[in-house]
Amino acid sequence: MTTTEIATSSIDIFSDEVLQDPYPHYAALREEGAVVYLPRNDLWALTRYRTIRDALENSSVFSSQRVAFNDDMNRALAGTSLATDAPDHRQLRKTLLAPLTPRALKSIEDDIGSKADRLVDDLVARGSFDAIGDLARAFPLQVVSDMIGVQGVARENILRWGEAAFNVLGPMNQRSVENFPVAGELFQWCKTVRQEDLVEGSLGHGIFESAKRGEIAPESCGAIIHQYVAAGMDTTITSIGNAIAHFAAFPDQYARLAADPSLVRSAFNETLRYEPPVNLFGRHVKSDIEVEGTLIPAGAQAAVLFAAGNRDPRHYDDPDTYRIDRDPADHLAFGYGIHTCAGQGLARIEALAILSACARRVRSFRVGEGQRQINNMTRGLSSLPVLEIRAK
Amino acid sequence: MPHITYRDPNGRTHVVEVAVGLTVMEGARDNDIPGILADCGGACACSTCHVYVDPAWVERLPPQGEMEADMLEFACEPDPVRSRLTCQLRVTADMDGLVVTIPAEQA
Ligand code: HEM
Ligand code: FES
Repeated sequence: MTTTEIATSSIDIFSDEVLQDPYPHYAALREEGAVVYLPRNDLWALTRYRTIRDALENSSVFSSQRVAFNDDMNRALAGTSLATDAPDHRQLRKTLLAPLTPRALKSIEDDIGSKADRLVDDLVARGSFDAIGDLARAFPLQVVSDMIGVQGVARENILRWGEAAFNVLGPMNQRSVENFPVAGELFQWCKTVRQEDLVEGSLGHGIFESAKRGEIAPESCGAIIHQYVAAGMDTTITSIGNAIAHFAAFPDQYARLAADPSLVRSAFNETLRYEPPVNLFGRHVKSDIEVEGTLIPAGAQAAVLFAAGNRDPRHYDDPDTYRIDRDPADHLAFGYGIHTCAGQGLARIEALAILSACARRVRSFRVGEGQRQINNMTRGLSSLPVLEIRAK
Repeated sequence: MPHITYRDPNGRTHVVEVAVGLTVMEGARDNDIPGILADCGGACACSTCHVYVDPAWVERLPPQGEMEADMLEFACEPDPVRSRLTCQLRVTADMDGLVVTIPAEQA
């Protein structure tokens, strides 16, 4: 092999400093090499678009047995679609995906659209509100809770649980440690939830029906519901919050969208490219592999930096510029390959419904200072005050 | 460049050149041919790039992968023989003359 010197970097990619403003660090890593070893995290970072796509396609070497960056979580995730390799992955994914395909979601798409219209009408009438709490969080909470059929106290906990579910995928730093008990509440609730706790006719209720019919194992019901909440909540919230933040930061881009709301699909793809909700996932390297001249040894853990790949100038022209007409449908925010996001159809329906409701009603808006939410895995905001709205 | 014929849901026929190495989905997208939505951008995760392949071509195309076969079950009115997902069909020189029909509905 023609292994050259290994590129290394002394940064801790989970430190507050990096998470506050990761893009300059990701750019430096990407220029350092397609593969960069990070001694402080004991991780091999994959930084460039092509390298990342190729690794995600090569799931027999880049295994999902270690998607999280600590052993406890990797153990807890064993048996989920997210953390299972071929061949067992196939059936798990199919079961999970069936209710999430565009065809399956068609029946609730109109309802999601009217919920979005009502929420935005209400916010426009109020004139000022928080774009994260009152919109980005409120909307998926309503849609996903209604869909799964969650009611009562559990519903009030879902936001906390969803955010913790991502923090605990990081290494065992302070943030992970503090969030383990909260993430544990979600695991516990999913393990004990009964069919009668969920609204009749809901998807969650239906999962238990499938188990009664023998289509899935009874113990899978909780695991499936866990994935809907843990994988589907904070991600969608973050993507909608980021979109509003991008519209506020680039008013000329929002003006184009308001003038032509049909650009919303492309604008959402650009938001997912520009700041993907999930910065990275891990992979377990099963056998020695040479990537762009660097040998990654068997047993190592790779960090797949979706967020760095999405700004790779080798793939996207002028990647640090936010352009709503770019339509980068091949972005890495949903991953790629056999584990590519199973819930993207739902995420897209929710985001397009709420963002197009905004684009159809709001000519322009003014925001105050947003607060960054520091999370080991995700990049989003915890608040963004909307101070003024000019309705159409 | 290979020529590919797309019959769109409005009954119109488009004959376009698609470069070797692109997918049949990308050929439709780059030529603004209606009916192939490709929501997931070619990740084999949405089934909205579904077509019916002309019977004469069914045997001449590379076989379906596992992921494509699974996703085809979630497409609208899939045909057990003629259905394919266009994002999984990479154009080669010997696909010159391929004819596909785009269904009326993708979801
Ligand atoms: C904008 C919103 C979302 C983003 C950015 C996102 C991101 C991702 C990413 C990057 C992966 C790949 C993980 C890997 O390769 O290891 C993934 C997988 C997954 N996502 Fe999403 N996700 C979103 C919404 C959702 C929703 C709404 C659901 C469910 C209701 C969901 C369920 C899943 C599941 C079950 C997997 C694992 C699939 C498998 O292993 O086969 N996601 N997601
Ligand atoms: S483009 Fe989504 S499955 Fe082909």
